[in-house]
Amino acid sequence: MAAPADIAAFLKSVKLFREFTDSELLAFAGRLEERNLKPRQVLFREGDPGEEMFVVRKGTSIISKVVSGRIEQVLARAEAGDFFGEMSLFDRSPRSATIQAETDVALYVLDREHLHLLIEVNPRAAAAFFRSLVYVFIERLRASGELVAEITRWGLEATGLDMESR
Amino acid sequence: MTDAAPPRRAKLELLVRRDGDEAGFDIRTVGSAAAWVKMRPQRVPAEHFELAEVTSRVDRQRSFILKNTQTERFLMLSEPERFLWDQMDGRASVQDIATAYVLRYGQFDFELIPGMIKKLQRAQLLSLTPASRLRYALARNRERRLLRAAETALTALERINISSRRVQPFFRRAYRWGGRLLFTPVALVVCVLLAVAGFAAAAKLWRDADVAAGFGANPLLAIITVKLLFILTLAAHQIVHGLALVHYGRRVREFGFTFLHGFLPTFYVDVTDIFMASRRARVVTAVSGTLVHLAFGSLWFMLALRAPNGGFVQAFAAASGMIQWQAFVLALYPFCFVEMDGYHVLVDALGVPTLKHDAMAYVKSLVSGRPASASRRQAGLWIGYVALSIVSIAAFIALNVWVVIHAVS
Repeated sequence: MAAPADIAAFLKSVKLFREFTDSELLAFAGRLEERNLKPRQVLFREGDPGEEMFVVRKGTSIISKVVSGRIEQVLARAEAGDFFGEMSLFDRSPRSATIQAETDVALYVLDREHLHLLIEVNPRAAAAFFRSLVYVFIERLRASGELVAEITRWGLEATGLDMESR
Repeated sequence: MTDAAPPRRAKLELLVRRDGDEAGFDIRTVGSAAAWVKMRPQRVPAEHFELAEVTSRVDRQRSFILKNTQTERFLMLSEPERFLWDQMDGRASVQDIATAYVLRYGQFDFELIPGMIKKLQRAQLLSLTPASRLRYALARNRERRLLRAAETALTALERINISSRRVQPFFRRAYRWGGRLLFTPVALVVCVLLAVAGFAAAAKLWRDADVAAGFGANPLLAIITVKLLFILTLAAHQIVHGLALVHYGRRVREFGFTFLHGFLPTFYVDVTDIFMASRRARVVTAVSGTLVHLAFGSLWFMLALRAPNGGFVQAFAAASGMIQWQAFVLALYPFCFVEMDGYHVLVDALGVPTLKHDAMAYVKSLVSGRPASASRRQAGLWIGYVALSIVSIAAFIALNVWVVIHAVS
């Protein structure tokens, strides 16, 4: 496990924590747990219950969603500095996608208890965290829109449908 | 002013889980174009459209009026479009239809089929069905372990494709360094002499030698080895097709190895450019490759005749000769439901590029008790093709069973 100072130095580069002060980061880093994945190891599957979110320290994970049978669509790849799993952390719903390591992966884990602690002990840092989260959500919404457009384009091209002349 | 960049082709990235392996997966990127050529355009049922022929009084050109009886929409089709419409029965893929079109008209416009499909879709006369029916049937029955294993094996084999599109310089060099000799009258005479000598050797072996004895204790293993060696000679067959293309000044677009339909190991060469040449060029290209098997078969029989009687070399050479000659007959014989060289020569000569397709559809309509309309000549041709093919396949299987039983006993 890395020292809190090292974790804090890494978190400083993560969008989610960009408004944290150094001392807030150091205090927050001390509460994070580290988890490592080997290539192809599944962290969780779509539909699993979840209580944690994850920040990627190093490596690449594939985020995918079942399309049919054994086929899943690759939604995105999470790399160093990215985070995922926050949806189940906030709304207690089952996991919406599967996360599987593509390479050796190191993650930091933030669970619901730690989040509540952050809100109670350091409301300023918690507000900064949620503000950054909103910006990231906006980025992801835009990316989802792009993905929907790309898939729609794929469908139109693959079926040869001519919508312009309809 | 800046030129707008052409739009990027859309792609889907898919993660496919491996069967029986929780964490195993493969990432596959599927381009929309790959999906499109495998689509099977399906026209609306016969009771939902009407087709009428009109001939221009000015230039005597024939055209067709297609009416969607559900929506009361009309479309004017040219003769080539009418041909495409006839192919769109939900069984032929876009790729098959393009091939049939080239065989029929000897030319191809890459915008023609997409344009036609768009026009028909706008008139609600067409739907598109994806992918292979065999794969679709296997996918629907995945709960059965055997079928799931078959599907996995087919998928794995289909992925094996070793090919190159930069083969024209290789074929040009091979042609310059001796390949051109294959297309001379001397080569034809040598081939005929080889065939005669081979036939005489085979007849003598049949009469005098105990060929099967040479395989000793492992006849089946020996037959499998013969078959594996035979696969290598398929490469020579395809190379000769490629040399024929160079001989007629056409371009070899691709050469490679793959598993046909997911289970038949084979070499292949893309000879589509020969469609732009004369009929004689097409026939020579088709036949020249098969003559490789005739020549190899004869050489094997001659070797078998000279080998010690009852020994392994004699048995191996005789079996190899037999399989080469079988390949020669099979490749040139058009009545076996397989669209090989002989079939292409036949449909070219008859001017019926979709013979197998039409014959199967007609016989199916007869079996279902609702015969499709056809002239007497067409019906005769189609029934004859299917009947001859069934009889030929039965005879071929019987011959192989007999050969194996004879070898084992």
